Amino acid sequence: MSRRESASRNMDWALFAVLLMFLLMGTINVYSAAFDPDHPHFFDFTQKHGKQVLWVLFSCFLGFLVFLIDASIYRKFAIPIYLFCIVLLVTVLFMPSINGARAWLGWGSMGIQPAEFAKIGTAIALSGYLSRVNVQQQNIRTVLLANFLIIGPMVLILLQPDAGTFVVFTSFLFVMYREGITYDPIILKLVNIIPGVKFKSTWVGSHFIPILFVIIFLSLVTLLMSDNTITFSFLPGLTIAGFWGVILSLFILAIGSYFLLKWMTSKRDRRRVTLIVLIGFVLCSLITVSVNYAFQGLAKHQKDRIELFLGLREDPDGEDYNRNRAMAAVGSGGLTGKGYMNASVASMESNHVPESETDFIFCPYAEEWGFAGSFVLIGLFMFMLFRIVRIAERQKSRFNRVYAYCVAMIMFYHFAINIGMNIGFAPVIGIPLPFFSYGGSSMMSFSMMMFILLKLDSQRNDVLV
Amino acid sequence: MNVSARKYVILAFFLLVGIIYTIRLFYMQIVDDSWSLRAQEIAEKRVLVTPPRGIVYDRSGKKIVTNRTYYNLMMIEDEIRDLDTNAFAELIHWTPQQVKDRFREIVKGEGTYHNPHTGKTTSNYQRIRAYPFVKELTTDEMSRIAPYLENFPGFFEEITSMRSYPYANAANILGYLSEANREEIKKDKFYRPGDYIGRAGIERYYESELRGVKGVHYIVTSALNNAIEAYEGGKYDTVAVQGPALKLGVDMDLQAYGERLMNQKRGCIVAIEPASGEILSLVSSPSFDPNLFVGRRNVAENYPKLLADPDKPLFPRPLASEYPPGSIFKLIQSLVALQEGVITVNTGFPCTKSMVGCHNHPTATDIKRAVQYSCNPYYYYTMRKIIHKGRKKNFYADAEAGLNVWADYMKSFGLGYKFDTDITGLRPGLIPNSKYYDGWYGHNTWAFSTIRSISIGQGEVKLTPLQMANVAAIIANRGWYYTPHFVKSIGGRGPLQTYREKQYTKVDQVHFDPVVEGMRRVVNEAGGTARRARINDIVVCGKTGTAENPHGADHSIFIAFAPIDQPKIAIAVFIENAGFGGTWAAPIASLMIEKYLKGEISDRYKEQRILEANLLHLKKKPKKKKP
Repeated sequence: MSRRESASRNMDWALFAVLLMFLLMGTINVYSAAFDPDHPHFFDFTQKHGKQVLWVLFSCFLGFLVFLIDASIYRKFAIPIYLFCIVLLVTVLFMPSINGARAWLGWGSMGIQPAEFAKIGTAIALSGYLSRVNVQQQNIRTVLLANFLIIGPMVLILLQPDAGTFVVFTSFLFVMYREGITYDPIILKLVNIIPGVKFKSTWVGSHFIPILFVIIFLSLVTLLMSDNTITFSFLPGLTIAGFWGVILSLFILAIGSYFLLKWMTSKRDRRRVTLIVLIGFVLCSLITVSVNYAFQGLAKHQKDRIELFLGLREDPDGEDYNRNRAMAAVGSGGLTGKGYMNASVASMESNHVPESETDFIFCPYAEEWGFAGSFVLIGLFMFMLFRIVRIAERQKSRFNRVYAYCVAMIMFYHFAINIGMNIGFAPVIGIPLPFFSYGGSSMMSFSMMMFILLKLDSQRNDVLV
Repeated sequence: MNVSARKYVILAFFLLVGIIYTIRLFYMQIVDDSWSLRAQEIAEKRVLVTPPRGIVYDRSGKKIVTNRTYYNLMMIEDEIRDLDTNAFAELIHWTPQQVKDRFREIVKGEGTYHNPHTGKTTSNYQRIRAYPFVKELTTDEMSRIAPYLENFPGFFEEITSMRSYPYANAANILGYLSEANREEIKKDKFYRPGDYIGRAGIERYYESELRGVKGVHYIVTSALNNAIEAYEGGKYDTVAVQGPALKLGVDMDLQAYGERLMNQKRGCIVAIEPASGEILSLVSSPSFDPNLFVGRRNVAENYPKLLADPDKPLFPRPLASEYPPGSIFKLIQSLVALQEGVITVNTGFPCTKSMVGCHNHPTATDIKRAVQYSCNPYYYYTMRKIIHKGRKKNFYADAEAGLNVWADYMKSFGLGYKFDTDITGLRPGLIPNSKYYDGWYGHNTWAFSTIRSISIGQGEVKLTPLQMANVAAIIANRGWYYTPHFVKSIGGRGPLQTYREKQYTKVDQVHFDPVVEGMRRVVNEAGGTARRARINDIVVCGKTGTAENPHGADHSIFIAFAPIDQPKIAIAVFIENAGFGGTWAAPIASLMIEKYLKGEISDRYKEQRILEANLLHLKKKPKKKKP
């Protein structure tokens, strides 16, 4: 059996289909967002939508190349690839600053953002490293080394500075969590300092990362909502404070997850499940309430500073310009949207939402396709993420599994933060929406990431580790 | 430790975010409307389209107020490149300093916006928006400038519509426009800065009709405020609707003729069609060309000049000047006396000249002769009988009751109050009642002898020329009138309802005939005071008046109507300081009547005399010293 045949037979066609769908949807959407009546032609390469077509074609070509190359090279050359990315990240710091950041490597208008590719490099390096570590023998040294792999590029990216990509790198912590490499040894050490305490493992230690992220996510949402009031058009006169909205959502979630888990688990576990959901809800509500009151209690200037830091107040004028307009664009979409090419707020031509073709690409999409379109988009991303996790779990090779989780987590981060930014759930830190945002580097990087995953998966039976 | 179960934690994370985002999007996009409103606020703009104002026609269908195309020279600062100020100033015939000042003026004129959140104050002026740099250029001016505009990027022309008056007459009737001021803009949402609003006359009174309905174009705009496209393909747009045409009762030829006759004279002419109450002409002299007030450059230039003119061309004399009516008042006294029964048609009084002076004339042995000779003592006695009719035992109380009865009669003749009519700037005149004299002299301290001068239209009594003309119309109609008004029809729907209601006086029709006969004799019989008003084949009925004027020479008054049966025109002529009513006012009235009824003048000499007369200097005669 030749390698090509095995590649096509073992190829995950579902994920490949989603990928192609995203590429198609993304290109069509960029055309609408960046439409210029003076250059109406779809393939006008002087225009952003035309260039995006070029990038997509080039990305597909790269994917084709990836499929030609044997998948084992990523494992073999994990360290050189990682070091190459580090060199690029160092080099870029000596480039002239564009828009206040030294993120671009290249000449004139043609350039790449090494930070985008550093994600792939780091994913490969992390996969290579974690595949060699035995979870049972993990200690502080292995944890720190794994962290060092991540922190290296993060520091270089922060020097650019590029806060968005910096945050995305924390996604690798979840991968480590899945692999059992967590801060457990460190926390155990800390806990065991207390005399008389001798734990073999702690719940907090092993689930440190998800707990931390739940807290951060909840706090962020609470902060973002704390100044809002929620009104209901079908219940006139009813106005509730923003954080009550968060608690209400938590409550709905708790009820939902209770019934879901009740349906999933056996009778024996039911009491435990009920307890977990109840405790989870109470703890989350406590976090929300305390964050809200802590924030409300702050002095005005402190509050402003935090809001500014979170990107709640992006410009010093206190206009909250981008986020507000982005949300107006999304919110005005209605059920079925204003129709393709009919975005009145979010089109690049009207320029009410700056960066509507890159970081705020979800705006024109949601405005033109409405809730129906948004629902489809979220559904597709969910499908993709679940599919990647499924692919990850069927790998025999640990390298492949870690890499797949890396891809899933990076995609998830971009999805969650980018769309969160558009709907007021995340601070405005500029990171692209995979396959939708205009831009060559991100398009190539995401595509290659996916093609490498598809290639690795197609060769999952060849590799014996 | 079962590490592989941790995939569920990760999947739970995915699912959680997916569900939360879906709920959030559902809420934002479907439940919560506020984002749609915000989006509209951001991206949609209403562009108001101002329609041309309604056209005004005279009674024969001639356009007397119409619209004309003008040009604004617009400027977008952002598009200006290397402006050669000197060359540009030369092109528009300004000084370079004026050009620089104009830039500053535009910026200043836009005002500032104070942001309450940040405490910052920013100018409303936007470099990317178009502002009128030079307003209201004529087609000639623009065609001179336009070829050179390509040398000055950032400047371009824009068409605007403005008023035009084909006849240089009737300025006091038509009024004029000027830019709405801040209070008007605040009060009425219709107006935007720079919009024009009717300032006087018909333009002001019928403002809400003439201005029409503004059209609204909803457009999608960009962040830089420039239009991108029509919103929803123009589904919600409304069309600007021009104001309805107004048809006035004014006869523009008669008006123009009246203004010609009144050239070099101070005073006014009011002519009314008795059968309809429509004002045929309303001459206020000296007057001005209404085209002087078209556009703000013209207003700014001409308004102060006209305001400073000692002959007060801006003062609407027919409506707002209040004069003692003099002898024309005797007509009304005759009617009231007959109605009250204090005299009969054949009552006569000797011309004693003891209480009031008189000129020499045959004895007025009946009411017709009293009118014909305008005998002062006759009316002194008549008025005394009206006031002291013996209604009360107390002498003073009797005078009080009598005066109030009399004042009610006056009111029924449209005197002493402002007509509710379609022009602004009216004055009420003055008809004293008991309250008035109580305030003046004290209660129960006055009787007829105190107030006797009102019997001959002097003293406290004051009428506006419009009221005088209306008295002529009442007599022509033998006892009723329609409120004098200008507009015959609004957009073909006829006049306002209030002008279709007959107003009756308190005097019965039968009493009018002897007075009309007296008026006929005034013009047509020997011994009449207005023989100069005679027209060969038209029976003109008239009455002269001479109003004493404490500030200078007497005013010359004449009211008339013609023909005697089914009168077509009632007229009042008032010439300031021109002396006896029969000398100047009467012939002018007759010329107006003849012009209106026949379209031409038979007596060229009469016309020539009037046209050549200059009565402006008369005011400068030494003042009559009064003790």
